[in-house]
This record gives sequence, C-alpha cells and structure tokens, in this order.
Amino acid sequence: MTATVADRRAVRRTLPAVPAWWADVAVSVAVLSLLVVTALWTANRGVQELLAGPATGLTSLGRLAGLVSADLMLVQVVLMARVPLIERRFGQDRIAHWHRLAGFTSFHLLLVHVVLTTLGYAGTARQGVLAETWDLVVTYPGMLLATAALALLVLVVVSSVRAARRRLRYESWHLLHLYAYLGVALALPHQLWTGTDFVGSAAARAYWWTVYLLTLASVLVYRLGLPAWRSLRHRIEVAAVVTEAPGVTSVWLRGRDLHRLPARSGQFLLWRFLDGPGWSRAHPYSLSAPPNGNLMRITVKDLGDGSVRVVALRPGTKVLVEGPYGRLTGQHWRGGGVTMLACGVGITPLLALLWELPYAPGEAVLLYRARTPEDLAFRAELDQLAAERGLVVHHLVGPRARRPSWLPAYVEGMSDAEALRRLSPGIAAHDVFLCGPDGWVDAARAAARAAGVPDAHVHHERFAW
Amino acid sequence: MRRITLWLLSTVAVLVLLFSYKTSTMGPGGESGAVAAGGSDGVVANPGSATDSSGSGSASGGTVTGSVAQTRWGPVQVRITVSGGKITDVQAVRVPDGNRRDQEINGYAVPVLRQEALAAQSAQIDTVSGATVTSDGYRESLQSAIDAAHLN
Repeated sequence: MTATVADRRAVRRTLPAVPAWWADVAVSVAVLSLLVVTALWTANRGVQELLAGPATGLTSLGRLAGLVSADLMLVQVVLMARVPLIERRFGQDRIAHWHRLAGFTSFHLLLVHVVLTTLGYAGTARQGVLAETWDLVVTYPGMLLATAALALLVLVVVSSVRAARRRLRYESWHLLHLYAYLGVALALPHQLWTGTDFVGSAAARAYWWTVYLLTLASVLVYRLGLPAWRSLRHRIEVAAVVTEAPGVTSVWLRGRDLHRLPARSGQFLLWRFLDGPGWSRAHPYSLSAPPNGNLMRITVKDLGDGSVRVVALRPGTKVLVEGPYGRLTGQHWRGGGVTMLACGVGITPLLALLWELPYAPGEAVLLYRARTPEDLAFRAELDQLAAERGLVVHHLVGPRARRPSWLPAYVEGMSDAEALRRLSPGIAAHDVFLCGPDGWVDAARAAARAAGVPDAHVHHERFAW
Repeated sequence: MRRITLWLLSTVAVLVLLFSYKTSTMGPGGESGAVAAGGSDGVVANPGSATDSSGSGSASGGTVTGSVAQTRWGPVQVRITVSGGKITDVQAVRVPDGNRRDQEINGYAVPVLRQEALAAQSAQIDTVSGATVTSDGYRESLQSAIDAAHLN
C-alpha cells in the first residue's frame, strides 16, 4: 500500500480558496441579524416602554432578551450546519467554540426573557406571579409549545454543561442534543403569535419566517443532504486495515468516483463504520495520505474511546462519511520553507501534507514528538520522504517536560523558542503547521511566536470538540 | 423494544398531545371572548356597526358614540351615556383584542379608564400604566363623544 502513497500522480484537487472578505460577510450577517431584532424592539417603543413604569419596563426588557436570545439560537444552529464557506473559512474548532458561546448566551437570555416577561405581564395584569405564569402557559397563543421548548432547551443545556457531558455516553448526549432542534422549532409559534414585535407587523413576520426557513434549509442541505448524497454516491467501503505501530492502525478506503470527492491533504472527515451496534457515532479522522482518486487512508490511535474498533474492521464494511472538513490544507503554504510540528497521532494530517506539498529538498522540516520510540508511526514513510524529497526529520522522544512545553523532558533546559530555532533554523520565514493535543499545540504556538513566526503563518486545527 | 424506539415514540406522543391543545394551533388572534364577555366592566359585548360620533344624544341626555381612534393595536371607540348634562356611563365599544395580551391589558385598563372618565367628567384622564396605547385611543374617542354631545 505504501506505493500508493508515494504515487505522485495524486489528484490535487484545489478547492477554490475562500476569499478573505467572506469572513467579514459572515460576521456582518450575524451582527446585522442582531441589529434587526434590536431595531424591531426600538421601533415598537422598546425604549419608551422601558421608562414607562416598572411593569412595562420589565416586559420591554424581557422582550429584548427574547428577541436577542431567539436570534442567537438561530445563529448557533447555522454555525453547526457545516455550511462549506463558513466551515472552510473558520474551521470547525473555532466554530464549535462559538457555537457553545452563542448557545449558552442565548440560553441565559432565554431565562432572563422568561423571568422578566412573566413579572412584567403579572404587573400590568395586576395579578400574582404564579397565577400569571399559569395564564401565560395555558391561555396565550403558542405558549404551551414555548413552555415545552423551554423544557427541551434546559435539557440540552444541562446535558452540555461540562460536568454532565463527561458523565454521559456520547450517543446519549448526542440524542439529547438533537432535541435542541425541536426546542428551536417549538419556540416559533409564540414568537409570531404573542411576540409584540411580530403580531403587529406582517413585514416583521415575513422577515422572521425567512430567517427561520433559511436556518432550516442550511441544516437540511449541508448537515443532512450533502453527507447523505456523498455517502450514496461514493459508496465508500473499507479496503484494508494495516497496523502502523502498537495501537496505531491505518484504514484504507475505496469507493466510486473518489476523485470527485473534494478532499485534500490535511483535511478530515466524520466516519461512520457500518460494522454493528454503535455505528451511529461519527469519528473525526484525518486523512493520513493524499487522496489519490482511488483510495483514501486514515490512521487511528487507540485512545480508548471506540477508536479501537477500527482494528476489527473487515474489508468490504460500508462507511458513511460527512465532510471533508478542515482548513489545515496546503492552501496556506506560500511556497517556501515549511516546518511541521506533530505530537503523537497528530502526525496524520501533516504526513499527508508532506506527501502533497511540492517543497524543494531541505525546505521542509518535521519535528515529531512522541512519548516512546514505539509510539513513532510511519517510520518507513518518513525515511522515504527524507530520501526522496529531502525532508528533514527530527524525532523528539521521551516523557513530557515538567513545564508547559512542546519539548520532551530531556531538553527542557532549553527554551521552547531556542529549540525551535536550532531544529529549524529558517523557521521565522516558514509556514508552520501544528497538530497534536490542545495543551501541546498551545505551547508549540507560543514557541513559534517567540521564534519570530507571525501568527498568520502558523496553521493548526484542534480536534477536541 | 429498543430504547431509541421508545424515545422516538414518546417524543411523537408528547408532540401530538401538545399540538392538540387549543393555544398551539389557534394563531395570534386567540379566542376573543375573554374581555368582550366582561361587558359590565365597561366593554360592550357586541358593538355592531358603530359609526362615527353618532347617537341619539344631546346636551341633556341619551347616548353618544365617539369616533374610532386608530391605535397601533387596533381601533378604540367609546360610547357615553349622558343624563342631565353629566356623563353617567362610558362603554368601550371597541378595544384592541387581537391577541391574548391585549385582552389581558384591556381587561384591567378599561374599567379603570371608565372610572377615571366618570370622575373627571372629561377626557383629561390619566394613562393607565401598561396600557398607554389603549389610554390614548380611549381619550381621543371619549373627547369626540363629549364634543358631539356638546358637553362643554
């Protein structure tokens, strides 16, 4: 199989690079949507009512909280819809972070909305809070559905608080998380039928429907449709399973028209192996070899989270895929020197890039960090790259340093940046690619910065989400 | 039965129950009976076809219906009963009741406005907190009724 990796006829499909202005557009759209709901609020006397008395003020503030909460709710659904332009521009690691941030903010505003609106309504109706709560739930249009939506969102948020998330099986957590879609949908009727800003204005209702339907469409098309279509079209299946090192296993995959799957070195896909119970969990694995149009290779380290299953995969096992995703690709390479820092199984996407990028001999440096010599995978391939392509490889093997550092303990006397400069003398002018565990990547980024590499030339993607 | 099937079935069952409740499919209008039924509190149950500032009233007695004041939430119209040059009753012929919220607010505000009007014997009455829109419309329609009845 190694011969296939070295196949220099590898199809190098270049995805159209996402233009830089796209980031501005995406962020502007999100900010504008927040402005629109705020404008709705002010247009409907939000500010005047704020000052008109305690009950009216509470209602008005609750209304604003509800509008912003609903808007953020949709923003975070779109964020997770894997829209290609958004995904390729920002990367799933950052998007997942924003999703969490927007989700929790939206939820907190939702609680503010519920409390303030109930208090405000009770105030203007001159009745007790409990009686008003009951009235709201059972007599206001769409409010029973909204109450169910609140219960579902509470369930989703509670199960996503880190402490709870750790205790739940991934499958249970994921199933619960799907209820967020139901929650977002069930909240719509009360917004349109009871929401002051929508009841009185057909234009506002039309806008809100548009935003909701676009959000739904982004999920249906990109989160469900595209992966389903690609899985059906390419009919990917396991071709072979190869052990690379103790606990490190490569899986070769074949399929129809794989040259039409727009995957690049450095990217990852979400894989579902149809090998029995538990298949529904998607695993993010990077391509460890450039996709050559006929075969793809992924390499998996047994981390005790189900990744050991791949060892038992049989040729012919059907595979569903989502992706390719990820922006750790050759599009960032400016065409000169390149330094890659890998830690453990983080070598996989970098190995694919080292095969793909057309650097000159001596221009590329790989610093490969592992705990023990046995943990070093792909020795033969790296030797081949060194011999044929002039790749400079430095292994850094041993227990980790006792301070936060990308270095192993035996060289911890040297500063992180100094070690980088010695091992890759030209690094300040290089493009730097990083892949490894979170803490290690942080240390490596800091070291690269200290060694004079501008942040814009350091490329990495986190895989722990 | 597998747990996933159980989850799915329960979810569908709960959704069906939720949507079978009347507020889940009624649209924004809701039932408009809540306030209209309280006619004795100053709202006429069935306004019929009220026209602008009409009535059998004069400075001495009878009823006069004020003009329709168009507010953001809908029309407001009041009818006054005049006896011996004094306003003896004020009925809200129309108040916004397009949604449950209006009904709740006006259910409280209209009786207060009526009391204020009877006490003031004029349209110079205070806004009811939380019912600014209805109060404005009420004053406007009340003033036109008072004008039409020549009660100055």
